[in-house]
Amino acid sequence: MIAEQRMEAYLSALRSHLDPMTLQEREEILREITAHIRDAQEEPGATLDKVLARLGTPEELAGQYRDGALIRRASRSYSPVVLLRGAMRLSTRGLSGIIVFFAGVIGYAVGGGFVLSAMLKPIFPGNTGVWVQDGKLVDFGTHFPAPPGAHEVLGNWYIVLTLIVGSMLLLGTMYLIRATLRVSKLAQMRLG
Amino acid sequence: MVRLRVLAAEEDAPDRWEAQLRKGVLEMAALATLWNGRMYGLEIIRRLESKSQLALAEGTIYPILNRLKAEGMVTSEWVEAEAGHPRKYYALTKDGKRRLRQMAEAWAEFSSGVNSLLEPVLAGKESVR
Repeated sequence: MIAEQRMEAYLSALRSHLDPMTLQEREEILREITAHIRDAQEEPGATLDKVLARLGTPEELAGQYRDGALIRRASRSYSPVVLLRGAMRLSTRGLSGIIVFFAGVIGYAVGGGFVLSAMLKPIFPGNTGVWVQDGKLVDFGTHFPAPPGAHEVLGNWYIVLTLIVGSMLLLGTMYLIRATLRVSKLAQMRLG
Repeated sequence: MVRLRVLAAEEDAPDRWEAQLRKGVLEMAALATLWNGRMYGLEIIRRLESKSQLALAEGTIYPILNRLKAEGMVTSEWVEAEAGHPRKYYALTKDGKRRLRQMAEAWAEFSSGVNSLLEPVLAGKESVR
């Protein structure tokens, strides 16, 4: 009875630490670990305590599952949130991960800024654009009031250009993170 | 925290090195146990222990199998057993076999080179005795 309870406690701790995984993945893992505990207990000289100790703590075991799953999922994802979380997990493993994480944050922020600026142009046509004075660039973006003395040069081309630059930045950032995660997966394959 | 970890790492550096080495080989070794046919987790663990001294926290093998499956190196299947509960059997896929062969070739080449380098070291140790 008491042994049964300790096994249940182990499994429910494992379940709670596997939280970020899908329900299906989690149940599959629990089923397999349960089968392992049952079979290992049948071996000569085995006790439940020994079997559980040799499995490692539920935290350790779940952590090994989660690391692999997060990076794997992120390397196939299009979502900035999932990608940045994957990059963050990678950043705990080395400098290149940290660099990619910050490059990702900056890439998404600046790319998103350009797209936002494109959307502001139809709303504030007089205050959004690129201003030039005497052949020199004065300012760009959305400004209240518009820079005095300078004239706006792009008109509605501003929307086209900022959308192009913005989406190129967003896409570039996405591919950069995905490529990094994929390379790290290959590195894991080779180094274990 | 970081300082403490660095100190700890220096103190048991040889052990850590050995643990890293075992971990690095484990994936290839796990694939190799499946070369002659399907097996379930505990069988793979016991085979690794008896053949290669690759004793590890037994839980380590399951996340590795999980990853190998996600990468298409192995497939898995639940099979009813006499034990009264089903067991999850793993088998190599075509990709898994190809990958294992590449790993085995790289390993053989690499280890024979390192072994010849280590020969005098091991011989020296014996001549001192």
